[in-house]
Amino acid sequence: MKNIIELQNIHVSFDGETILDHFNLNIRDKEFVTLLGPSGCGKTTSLRAIAGFVQPQAGKVLFEGKDITKLPPHKRQVNTVFQRYALFSHYNVFENIAFGLRISKTPEKEIKERVHEMLALVNLKGFENRNVAQLSGGQQQRVAIARALVNNPKVLLLDEPLAALDLKLRKGMQNELLRIQRQMGITFVYVTHDQEEALTMSDTVVVMKDGLIQQIGTPEDIYNEPTNPFVADFIGESNILPGTMLKDYLVEFEGVEFPCVDAGFGENVAVDVVVRPEDIKIREPEEEALHGVVETVTFKGVHYEMMVRSANYLWKIHSITCREPGTKIGMKIIPEYIHIMAKEAGTAN
Amino acid sequence: MRRFIQKSYMGLVFGFLYLPIAYLIFFSFNSGKSKVIFSGFSFKNYVNLFQDEQIMQALLNTLIIAAISSVVATILGTMAAIGIQRLRKLPRNAIMNITYMPVLNPDIITGVSMMLFFSVLGISLGYGTVLLAHITFNIPYVILAISPKLRQMDVSVYEAAMDLGASPTVAFRKAILPQIMPGIISGFMMALTLSVDDFVVTFFLKGVEVETLATVIYTTTKTRINLSMNALCGVMVIVVLIILIIANLPAKQNAKKREE
Ligand SMILES: Nc1ncnc2c1ncn2[C@@H]1O[C@H](COP(=O)(O)OP(=O)(O)O)[C@@H](O)[C@H]1O
Ligand SMILES: [Mg+2]
Repeated sequence: MKNIIELQNIHVSFDGETILDHFNLNIRDKEFVTLLGPSGCGKTTSLRAIAGFVQPQAGKVLFEGKDITKLPPHKRQVNTVFQRYALFSHYNVFENIAFGLRISKTPEKEIKERVHEMLALVNLKGFENRNVAQLSGGQQQRVAIARALVNNPKVLLLDEPLAALDLKLRKGMQNELLRIQRQMGITFVYVTHDQEEALTMSDTVVVMKDGLIQQIGTPEDIYNEPTNPFVADFIGESNILPGTMLKDYLVEFEGVEFPCVDAGFGENVAVDVVVRPEDIKIREPEEEALHGVVETVTFKGVHYEMMVRSANYLWKIHSITCREPGTKIGMKIIPEYIHIMAKEAGTAN
Repeated sequence: MRRFIQKSYMGLVFGFLYLPIAYLIFFSFNSGKSKVIFSGFSFKNYVNLFQDEQIMQALLNTLIIAAISSVVATILGTMAAIGIQRLRKLPRNAIMNITYMPVLNPDIITGVSMMLFFSVLGISLGYGTVLLAHITFNIPYVILAISPKLRQMDVSVYEAAMDLGASPTVAFRKAILPQIMPGIISGFMMALTLSVDDFVVTFFLKGVEVETLATVIYTTTKTRINLSMNALCGVMVIVVLIILIIANLPAKQNAKKREE
């Protein structure tokens, strides 16, 4: 599949402070890409570079292979759903959605048709004469989406579109956005700081931190094979502890040797070991080489969360059964659930 | 007792405010020449007024100066307000304080300083200098009327408009202008009123040949008894009254609509 957008070595700084650095990203046509990272990591800035509101100091933005770095926003074939909707409060719902068509001087009859099409797409039939200020947050969100889609953009940029909605509404809108993306058959570039949202919706997830891309991959890749402790920690909960790669397929941590599925690190190399809380099975102490003592137990709705102390590490374990605090347990971790990461330069712990 | 005091207080206020005006207008209908003895009812002062070329010229000058200066000040003030809004906090506050200065300054200082300034530059006083002065003292009021609207405004709608294909100019017209229009209108109205009202600044900058209503009333009433001036005041009061009524009409109609 061909790339619809390419960001090549983008560098953005404000007042000498670097916001994006060596930013390289290829977005394929009709893909749902999510930029994921903590607040302030540069997600909005990257979207604005694609939309044309931010001029990078270095690097290129390509659209369908053509350099659009210097093209002003109104000449780019991408549309944006803004973080806080940015609806035109002096227009009603119909005129908000019709805005792009009026700019391109579309005939009145076609405008009517297109706007009604869009209203149907976002389930807002019958709302055309409403004042946007009287709409609920979720409805305003829909108007913003319809307004951005009316021009038939090839790429839709969405900046934390669901952040202001309550949890239940958010779940519903996630499904609707996916439906809209499939129905329109266009590329979505989606920004969020919610890892669950990113994992459930995306074809590709881009994890960012401090303006640097940490990892690009499918949700499964990112979850199962995080490339560094930051990604492992940001994408769901993890146990991250130091270990030693003794040789290929054999790792040692907490004084216990474990067979694993990773290779190619060398012999006796210090590494970071990642184990998800739900991947640790509770056994009797005599059954397993790795032991620990339960410190706390919390009920989390579907599972229990236990904090278990072994020789040098406090483990987080998710399990549907629980043990009383003070109980000594054995911990079983199968090779597939042990993920090895190379130590990052400069993080010697 | 309390009601009585309240009522007499209101009476006093209205008395001091409106009695002199009522007195002035009453004598504008005097057929005689006196300002104290009413000899009979007539419209002759009004007829004289509208035949008095000096006054008609002054009226024309006042209207032209007010119109031009308030339009120019509104345009410049709007641009300035937008520019100021886009500055960083520190320079923005500095410029806003500088903007306040002429508002707080007594008119006489504005008038005298400008007169000196123009004479140093060798610019002769007249129509041009009055216009320049009016534009200058109007701009801060326009800026002050628009700035709060700009601050409340959602800037992202400007970007949203461009995102949807509008050029920066069109985006400004369609997304920003409607939001700050109330501020622009009130700034314009303020500029118009201030310009029509102004006596002091005009007096220092008008030179010899230009007269506005304010200066003409001042010079005529100072030198001779002239009941046309009373008639002029009568006309002005009535015009203001009509404007007030018109200005309040739509508000009432809207209120009624909302109640329905
Ligand atoms: N116009 C700007 N001027 C100065 N700093 C900015 C500007 N826009 C963003 N920043 C800074 O850039 C950083 C990244 O911002 P942003 O891209 O909005 O992050 P995110 O969307 O991931 O929360 C933040 O530290 C923010 O303060
Ligand atoms: Mg953001």
